[in-house]
Amino acid sequence: MKKALIYLLLTAVAVIMLYPLLWLVGASFKTNEEIFSSVWFMPKSLGTEVYKNAWDTVTPYTMGHYFINTFMIIIPKIAFAVISSILVAYGFARFDFPMKRLFYALLICGMLMPSIATVMPLYRMWSRLGLIDTYIPLTIPALFAGEGMFVFILIQFFKGIPKEFDEAARIDGCGTLKTLFFVLVPCIRPAVVSIVVFTFLWTMNDFLTPLIMIQSVEKYPLSLALRLSVDSTGQGYEQSKILAMSVIGIIPSISVFAIAQKKFISGITAGGLSG
Amino acid sequence: MKTRIYRNPVGVSKYTGLALISPFIIGAVLFIIYPFIASFITGFTSDGISVENFRNIISDGRIKASAAVTLKYTIILVPLKLAVSLGVAFLLNMELKGIGIYRTAFYIPSILGANLAVIIMWQYLFTSGGLVNQLLEKAGLFPVSWYGDPDAALFIIVLLRLWEFGSAMVIFLAALRDIPRELYDAAKVDGCGRLRCFFSVTIPQIKNIIFINLILQTIAAMQEFSAPYMITNGGPLGSTRTVGMLIYEEMFIYGDEGTANAVSWLLFVFIAAVIFLMYRLTGISGRKQK
Amino acid sequence: MKNIFYKAATLCCVLALSSCTSRKNVKVTPPDGTLDKCSLRFSWWGGDDRHEATLKAVKLWNNRHPEIRIVPEYGGWDGWTEKVAAQVKSGTEPDVMQINYDWIITLSPDGSGFYDLEKLNSFLDLSYFDKNIVSFGRVKGKMNAAAVSLSGRSFFYNSRVYDSLGADYPQTWSDLTALGSSFGSADMYPIDLDIQSGGTAWYLAVVYMQQKTGREFITDDGQLGFTYEDICSALRFYKELEDSHVIRTVRSRTDEDGNAALYQSSEFISGRVAGVLEWGSAIGKYESVLPEGVLEAGPLLSDENGNCSGWMIKPSLMYAISGHTEHPDEAAAFMDFLLNDEECAELLGTTRGIPASSKAETALEKKGCISGLAKKSTDILNAADTVTISPYMELPRMKSFYNAAIESVSYGTADIDEAAKQMYDSINEYLEKIRK
Repeated sequence: MKKALIYLLLTAVAVIMLYPLLWLVGASFKTNEEIFSSVWFMPKSLGTEVYKNAWDTVTPYTMGHYFINTFMIIIPKIAFAVISSILVAYGFARFDFPMKRLFYALLICGMLMPSIATVMPLYRMWSRLGLIDTYIPLTIPALFAGEGMFVFILIQFFKGIPKEFDEAARIDGCGTLKTLFFVLVPCIRPAVVSIVVFTFLWTMNDFLTPLIMIQSVEKYPLSLALRLSVDSTGQGYEQSKILAMSVIGIIPSISVFAIAQKKFISGITAGGLSG
Repeated sequence: MKTRIYRNPVGVSKYTGLALISPFIIGAVLFIIYPFIASFITGFTSDGISVENFRNIISDGRIKASAAVTLKYTIILVPLKLAVSLGVAFLLNMELKGIGIYRTAFYIPSILGANLAVIIMWQYLFTSGGLVNQLLEKAGLFPVSWYGDPDAALFIIVLLRLWEFGSAMVIFLAALRDIPRELYDAAKVDGCGRLRCFFSVTIPQIKNIIFINLILQTIAAMQEFSAPYMITNGGPLGSTRTVGMLIYEEMFIYGDEGTANAVSWLLFVFIAAVIFLMYRLTGISGRKQK
Repeated sequence: MKNIFYKAATLCCVLALSSCTSRKNVKVTPPDGTLDKCSLRFSWWGGDDRHEATLKAVKLWNNRHPEIRIVPEYGGWDGWTEKVAAQVKSGTEPDVMQINYDWIITLSPDGSGFYDLEKLNSFLDLSYFDKNIVSFGRVKGKMNAAAVSLSGRSFFYNSRVYDSLGADYPQTWSDLTALGSSFGSADMYPIDLDIQSGGTAWYLAVVYMQQKTGREFITDDGQLGFTYEDICSALRFYKELEDSHVIRTVRSRTDEDGNAALYQSSEFISGRVAGVLEWGSAIGKYESVLPEGVLEAGPLLSDENGNCSGWMIKPSLMYAISGHTEHPDEAAAFMDFLLNDEECAELLGTTRGIPASSKAETALEKKGCISGLAKKSTDILNAADTVTISPYMELPRMKSFYNAAIESVSYGTADIDEAAKQMYDSINEYLEKIRK
């Protein structure tokens, strides 16, 4: 009975959460007039034509090409972000060293400055280095723990692990890195998964940085390709296609989250504190 | 000068920590210090025009008005969002069949972000003849002028961001998993109900994580620009023009990088003050982690 | 250890300093009178139709001139301004660019931001353009850009609604005001004016006052032509339209449409708001949400004596050549192709509006490609004695002054005199600053 109540509650909330998605999919089959005159998600007719057009795009490349581009950015970026954030957070959480407070303050400062203020100076820097129109400005910052927030999150998770764990590992003869990767990281696996998820979703949605840094259409990531048709100043206007493109664009994000969310719970038996 | 003693495990040099954070040191120079200095230069010193614009922006009261909006927005949104995301994460942490589907469903609004679909949805909900007003009228109440009333407009933006509680929820989920099951078992033996358990076991166990979520959500709220930009475009009468949106407008609408950077610096100092206050008030200090 | 930090600090300083001096003068490559083998970058923004057509045109060029390869760079409108601004600031912009009218001021305040097109007349033929139109691109005496097409705002009406109410399209300003009562009794509105990015509310007030006074609101060289009293009258005119139920108040408009554009609002789609003041080049969006043939172009409003001056036109888009290009001749030749070539014009159609080049326009007319509301609107404006919009009037910051004044008058947070004073001072101060 109690369980049924919980399910009922969850389902009710889930409907509210999901309706816009449902509407988005439905609206991608509608005409402009239909879209703006009804809140009901079911379209009058279903034709796959719009999705074929959206996939083909008007550029010489299909959406598939832009997906591949996006993954060429996302995969190194995830690897870089995870490794560098773990190392740096470990250093902050477990060791004492000169000027630690200064660096910690710097870490926090990096999170506080609105990113808009740093985009242009960085553009100028990359442009002087001749690296505009490559993926380097998009991926390399992650190698140097460019997302302070991840380090910040991991520090807190590391601090949640009793220090006895490290000591036991050291007594067993583990070095610094071995302790980190074989003892501590398994304990905070959910936090690492959340970093992977955040990096994936944010890179998927990031529009401003690639817009400024990438010039060739051939190298556009998906987020730029999705807005290729949006021109509020012009004549042409086919809402359904833009919506269809955004449906195609969010499928990977939803799938990645659906796969990753399991890790927030199934890790329990795979080691960690409660094991 | 006093020699500092570095408290490290036996056999660990004071440079081990430095070596571990060395990627960050390089990153800090390239991606924090350098752009900070550069933005400071374009913001306050380079050409007369931006200094003058900056003076205008202060003298015509836009900064003050925006700071008030931002503060109001943060104070309303952050506690609500923390409460909702923690509550939902607690529910979703239960081992129920098919719970994964719910977890994904609850994250979807955050994936959608400020997607066109969301903007249009909000219009269906809150315009004068929208769903919410229809319901209000059926309930015998009078309709609210959501978009047009300067007091109500901020509220629908808060609602949008509240609805997108996914990333706070994810961090809570990751933390809840780490709470040892035995603690709950022990509490149950002591005769704790579910609610008591939540307050006397869950909350103390994850208070560090609540704190970082507080910090992260506060930073995000104080930098907010895309929601008001999409939903109300800062109006009516500037009632939803957050400082973040002011910066965005200066940079991208008016193309004035100098003013945008100058205001960014003010925002930076403003947020830093708030975060510092939070550290002080909660007593969770960065120093403890040595 | 210390050493590292000194080095890091030095690096920071060097980087920071170099950012100050990055706007160094780049040498302008002089034209050499011959076409060399090279590749050129060409950028534009737009929607699908424009992308598709332009890519075809680029292909045609590449077939004809395999030695001068054009590399296209294109995207949606969002953020494009900033992208180009960032490129121009650091000297990495494409060789040929589609630009917006007001960019000639923001990106080339002293006239040297883009290549002086008059130096390239051996490859770029501007003789197919009206002399007036050519002068649009001039900044401080230098030809910075060439107009692709012209556009102006005029009225378009929902004919079905007007028929059902037995109303005629207004001819004069008093006709318009009179419509308020017949539409008002049906809880409808004859037209819509906005204070969003379009800013048609102030636009119409400017037209009204220009017609009445014969003064230009903002002159070509960036002087405020209106007096303080003119601005008061313009705001009063706007307020009267609200009071006589010709348009919705800003508040009820916001309540009903949220932040949506008019063509996305159910009020317009259902016909409750039955008219719009819009650029001929952008009317397609409104046409497509109403049943076919329902939207019709209306006359320009005039005074009782039939004087319909004061209405405005501007170049809707322009092409410019980078001031840093190493291949000015080749860029000019390509620009000439885009503007004047007949075969290219047929491929491009009206995706950038009706071409301003008479050669391209004739080619399109022969093919029968020019028709519809955009054409009608152009004809209506061409028949009138129009004023050229000053690029200064279109600056986003200026628009924020107009919209703030209208908003405060509509909400009643400031009376008309105060709002006008505020606007008058802000405009003067700002114009003075950017004219420097």
